[in-house]
Amino acid sequence: MPFKYVHAADLHLDTPFRGVATQGPLLGRFQDSTFRALTRITDLCLRERVAFLLLAGDLFDMKDRSVRARLALRRELGRLDAAGISTFIVHGNHDPLSGDSGALGLPASVKVFGPDWEEVEVKREGRRLCRVQGISYPDVEVRDDLSARFRRTGEGFTVGLLHANLGGAEGHANYAPCTAAGLGSRGLDYWALGHVHTRAEHALPGGGVAVYPGNPQGRHANEAGPRGCVLVEVEDGGMRRRFVPVDGVRWHKLEVPLSGVSTLDGLLATTLEVVESRCAPELDGHAVRLTLTGRGPLHRELARPGALAQLESDLREQLARGHPPVLLESLRDSSRPEVDLEAVCAAGGFARTLLDEVGFLAEDPEALARLWAEEALGTLAQRLKRLGVEGLEAPRAEWVVQAGMHGVESLHEEETS
Amino acid sequence: MKPGLRIDALHVLGFGRFSGLTRELGPGLHLLYGPNEAGKSTLLAFLRSMLFGFEKRGQPERYEPAHGGAFGGELTLSTSAGPLLVRRIASRRASEGELTVRGADGQELSKEWLEGALAHVSRELFFDVFAFRLDELAGFERLTEQRGASEALVAASMRGARRLPEVMDQLRKRTEALYKPNGVKPVLNETLKALEDVQARLRQEGDRPARYFAEKARLASLVEEQRVLEAALLEVGAGLERLTRLEAALGDVAALAEARAELATLPALDTFPEAGESRLEDGLHRRRSYRAEGARLAERLATVDAGLERLAAPSGVRGREEALGSALSAYGERAVLLRALPSRRAALAEKQRQVELALRELGLPVDGPGLLALDLSASVRVALEELALRLGAAEAARREAEGTWARAVSERERLDGAQARADAELAALPQERASQLRQQQAGLGRLRAARSELERLSEQRAELHRQFESVRTQGEPQVTAAVLPAWWVPAVALAVVALAATAWLLAGNTVGALCLAGGLLLTGVLALARRRVEAARDADVAAQGARQRWRQQEEERLRSALMALAAREELLHRELLAASNEAGLNLVATAADMAAREAALADALERAGRRELLEREQEKLHAEHTAALREEHRASEAMGEAESRQGALGEELAAHLSARCFPPTLAASAALTLWRDAAALRQRLLDVGAEEAALAVDARACEQAASRLWTEAVAAELVTGPAEPPGLDASVLEPLAARVGAALEQERAQSLERRTLEERRAELRAEKARLDGLCHDEEAALAALLAEGGSADEESFRRRAAQARRYAELTGRTRELSHRIEARTGLSETSARQALIDVGGEQGLRAELESLRGKQAESQERQKAVLTECGALRHQLEQWENDDALAKLRIVEESLRARAAELAKQYAADRLTLALLARARRRFEEEQQPRVVQLASEHFTALTQGRYQRVFIPTGEERELRVGDGQRDWSAAQLSRGTREQLYLAFRLAVVRDFGETRGALPLIVDDVLVNFDPERARGAIHLLARLSEHQQVIAFTCHPWLRDAFAAEGARVQTLEAPATELPAPASVLKTG
Repeated sequence: MPFKYVHAADLHLDTPFRGVATQGPLLGRFQDSTFRALTRITDLCLRERVAFLLLAGDLFDMKDRSVRARLALRRELGRLDAAGISTFIVHGNHDPLSGDSGALGLPASVKVFGPDWEEVEVKREGRRLCRVQGISYPDVEVRDDLSARFRRTGEGFTVGLLHANLGGAEGHANYAPCTAAGLGSRGLDYWALGHVHTRAEHALPGGGVAVYPGNPQGRHANEAGPRGCVLVEVEDGGMRRRFVPVDGVRWHKLEVPLSGVSTLDGLLATTLEVVESRCAPELDGHAVRLTLTGRGPLHRELARPGALAQLESDLREQLARGHPPVLLESLRDSSRPEVDLEAVCAAGGFARTLLDEVGFLAEDPEALARLWAEEALGTLAQRLKRLGVEGLEAPRAEWVVQAGMHGVESLHEEETS
Repeated sequence: MKPGLRIDALHVLGFGRFSGLTRELGPGLHLLYGPNEAGKSTLLAFLRSMLFGFEKRGQPERYEPAHGGAFGGELTLSTSAGPLLVRRIASRRASEGELTVRGADGQELSKEWLEGALAHVSRELFFDVFAFRLDELAGFERLTEQRGASEALVAASMRGARRLPEVMDQLRKRTEALYKPNGVKPVLNETLKALEDVQARLRQEGDRPARYFAEKARLASLVEEQRVLEAALLEVGAGLERLTRLEAALGDVAALAEARAELATLPALDTFPEAGESRLEDGLHRRRSYRAEGARLAERLATVDAGLERLAAPSGVRGREEALGSALSAYGERAVLLRALPSRRAALAEKQRQVELALRELGLPVDGPGLLALDLSASVRVALEELALRLGAAEAARREAEGTWARAVSERERLDGAQARADAELAALPQERASQLRQQQAGLGRLRAARSELERLSEQRAELHRQFESVRTQGEPQVTAAVLPAWWVPAVALAVVALAATAWLLAGNTVGALCLAGGLLLTGVLALARRRVEAARDADVAAQGARQRWRQQEEERLRSALMALAAREELLHRELLAASNEAGLNLVATAADMAAREAALADALERAGRRELLEREQEKLHAEHTAALREEHRASEAMGEAESRQGALGEELAAHLSARCFPPTLAASAALTLWRDAAALRQRLLDVGAEEAALAVDARACEQAASRLWTEAVAAELVTGPAEPPGLDASVLEPLAARVGAALEQERAQSLERRTLEERRAELRAEKARLDGLCHDEEAALAALLAEGGSADEESFRRRAAQARRYAELTGRTRELSHRIEARTGLSETSARQALIDVGGEQGLRAELESLRGKQAESQERQKAVLTECGALRHQLEQWENDDALAKLRIVEESLRARAAELAKQYAADRLTLALLARARRRFEEEQQPRVVQLASEHFTALTQGRYQRVFIPTGEERELRVGDGQRDWSAAQLSRGTREQLYLAFRLAVVRDFGETRGALPLIVDDVLVNFDPERARGAIHLLARLSEHQQVIAFTCHPWLRDAFAAEGARVQTLEAPATELPAPASVLKTG
């Protein structure tokens, strides 16, 4: 019998946006966006009359301590329950079972998988549609490959629901690591994964597929582009998968070239144009990170103290007034002064020596590490880590290179100022 | 190729204010000298622009030519690869201009050649190293103050690192502002601290959701507790109420008992009349007032009666009013008449007298009656008038006829006179006729004309004679024979031929021919001449002939003319004779005679004319005279007629008058006037008579009225005296009339008064009767009231009234109290009392109340607390549900994290940069500095002329620069400013040289740097520059003459730049905004 289901993950309900001012007209709209995304997922389920909804972990963030998130979840799942649509949930690293007091009171049609592997049959009119297996994180740190506990128990469409890191994807904590081969060997038809926030599909050896639907609502500049869930139609053992965007607020990382722009007003206009061209009007809102790039006559203008900040605040104000409103997360200036580095190198002198030093350090990680320690950057990194701030974990060669460039540029400021 | 170049020549096409400027340079030391504004900076910029490109459009240092035209120039360079010609022209496409590089043989090379020659040095680097400007020293001094001399010098010694200390300083500052490991103020520190705080707060929140559900349960239990409390409170409240009511009723119950007791003591006074006492008082009061009123009425009645009595006195007038009234009115009517009687009489008498006087004056022989009897009717008057008219007309006619006659007479007389005068004049005039005279005059005229004509003719004749003679004497000699006979020509020709032949025979053909020719020619000429002369002679002959003929003709003409003249003269002589006869003169009369004759003739002619005129006039006069005579006759006849008529009329009038007793001799008009007067007088007489009669009638009437009045007055006893009236004496009658009137008036008033009084009396009596009735009624009512009240008199009545009041009061009170008790407690009186007893009386009641109250208060307190807690809990739960603050905290946490990450990255980057710079510097110092220091040492020695021997940086930790003179050494900071500057200069030039040695020598450009040096040091510096110029080109600029001389002394090649003649055009610059 044909049936449909929706696979979503990493809802991160009520997790704060990065870069939204705590005071401001846009706060409410942006904060609600995760809830609205969930509502849209529910609407989608109701519209498509799916058989069930899969939620692959990180429904909310324990750190947020948000009652609203739990109540919202209960509400939406209640709607699904009223329509006779079941929901299958596994918990992930951000919302492990250990953190849940259990007083949530979810409807009866919701099945939350526990710390041990379980399988549930989905039936309609007495006939079995498919099987759903799943396992939740007991704690935040799960380093085992949980996928090993999955196995096919019989015929029919089988779905595995798991919060895992497939293939050691960069930028994500390596919880429940697994490999495509490993997943494929379990013999399931569809692996409903969560944890990686970027949408991806992995074809598995053996015919199965592992899908990351990505998070349904981007929360910072690195989660740009359309976000949503995956609608899967199963018919006679065959699958059709469709990505459905449900995000209300979309993030963009935009570059604004400085070349050819000679006035700040012009820059403002160009920026607004760029933003407008990329921000579709049918969404609830947009959030952008703007980077000024290239070389141009305005570079000097922007280097004046306060100029960039002024421009940023002007832009922010103007963008916030738009329809739909656009949140300016930050305005970065990566325009370069007009310095010909090759010429500088060729000219020799101190700059040459500087760049030689840079080269030396970049190639010798030990020397770099020593330098790192000398500058007490390691201690700072530790302190930051304690506070949950990322970025300075380990010294990187390109930082040295950039520092060198910066040094050269500072030394060779243009004469006329 | 080895880099390095030298500028051999520069050629400016158009740059700044220069145009078409060429300068030769070359190796060694050059000085370009020019006063201020001569263009040194412009040239500097030119060199830079040529080598590295024009500045961007809009920059002032672009030096675009102010007035357009070519923009660019050329440099001739010497490089290791040979000479290069570098040409750069401004172009629209590229703001740095179009560059062309040509080689020695003019072929175009790539730009790489130039760049190679420049050692790939950037524009900035070139000017960092190879341009040495005045402000550099200032910058150095600043840096010295900030960072110390050593670092400043070290920085100077490092090519391309002049800004190193500054940059490192900036970075240090920035990093310090960002983060200090144990700091509090830096931004990152603050951010991290804030982050820690927020996370602490978040931690404090604990497990919000768990708490949420726990609190929710607690809320439920609290709600339950509240419900229980409420029920309890309700119960307590009810009991309290009941007892309170009872307490309130306590007082009432006691009062009720009291009232009942008192009521018992009083008699049953329900039947007592209501408001009895007041009714009694009212009644008494009314009775009193009635009585008073009655007394007043009686008084007034007495007064009225007295009045009436008074008025009843007798009076004489009474009864006779009517008669008196009518008599008085009759008298009144006639009073005026009476008063006027005497005056009328007097006037009448006067009139009569006047009439009689007029009658006498009239002149008629009649008296009054007689006048009356006269017939003075209108017909008489008409007749008279007619007569008068006719008389007048007759008189007028007569007068007119008289006038006419007189005029005729005078006319006739006048005419007589005129006639006589005319006759006399005529006699005096001569008889001659005018026509005769005129004829004589004409003759005289003709005579004169003939004479003059004769004279003229004689003149003409003389003239003609003269002409004739002249013509005749005009003879001419004959013309002579020909000059040249005809045979001369052929003769000459033959001679010529002979000559020619001779010549030919003698001298040959040629000569012969020549001679022949010449001879022939001569012959020809001769022939021609002869012909001409012949022709002339012929012409002369012809002319002469013509003249001869003309003369002959003239002679003929003149002759005939003379003859004609003679004939005419003859005629004129005849004429002359005739005319003189006619004129009455001789032929030989002179002009004077003629004139006299003419005058006489004229005079005579005039007189003749006058005579004719007079004769005509005479005839006219005669006719007139006849007419006048006739007229006179007629006029006298008319006059006689008129007179006769007038006489007839006069007689008629006289007859008429005498018939009317008028004097007959009166004229018509006078008669008329008389008639009028008489008629008037007659009328007057009649009037007077009438008036007399009227007067008599009036007098009679007055008498009658007066007597009647008197009679009545006597009867009314208003006057004493005889029964007869004293006649028409106004002085008596008037007062009498007045008295009568007054008496009548008085009588009328009295009767009126009487009537009024009687009315009043009747009224008063009626009033009194009414009052009496009221009084009586009142008495009766009072008696009834007393009886009702069960008392015999007022005193007792009053007493009973008071009692009755009290009775009613008490009854009401008891009723009220019992109602109140019931209302308050809901029980009847008896049951209330019973309840009181049950509860233990008053004290028991109070005790019970207190305890209940205490319980209630307690419960209320508890309830309040529970409610508050519930509210707070609900609020809290709501907050948690909305999670606003927490969400905000989370947002703050996230944003702080992001900020911290950024700041940390920036901090790390800056620190890395700083570290790199430090390490690079150390390396640099180890590798490259020694050479530079050494060079600097050499230079310094030279500059200080051996005062200081060396410059060095001691090994060890401190990288300080030190100078030594061989025995001691000092740090750079310890030197004087001037020496420090020399040291700086030494380093700078060391860097230049080092570069030149290692990379390639480029021209050093020195822009007026030495201006602050004293002459000695300046010379030292210039000497150093000169030494340097052995290795590379040095181009210096200055505007100071003493520096110029110093340069020249060191062998520099000095070139002068002229200041512009007109004002220096500033480089055109358009600043772009924004």
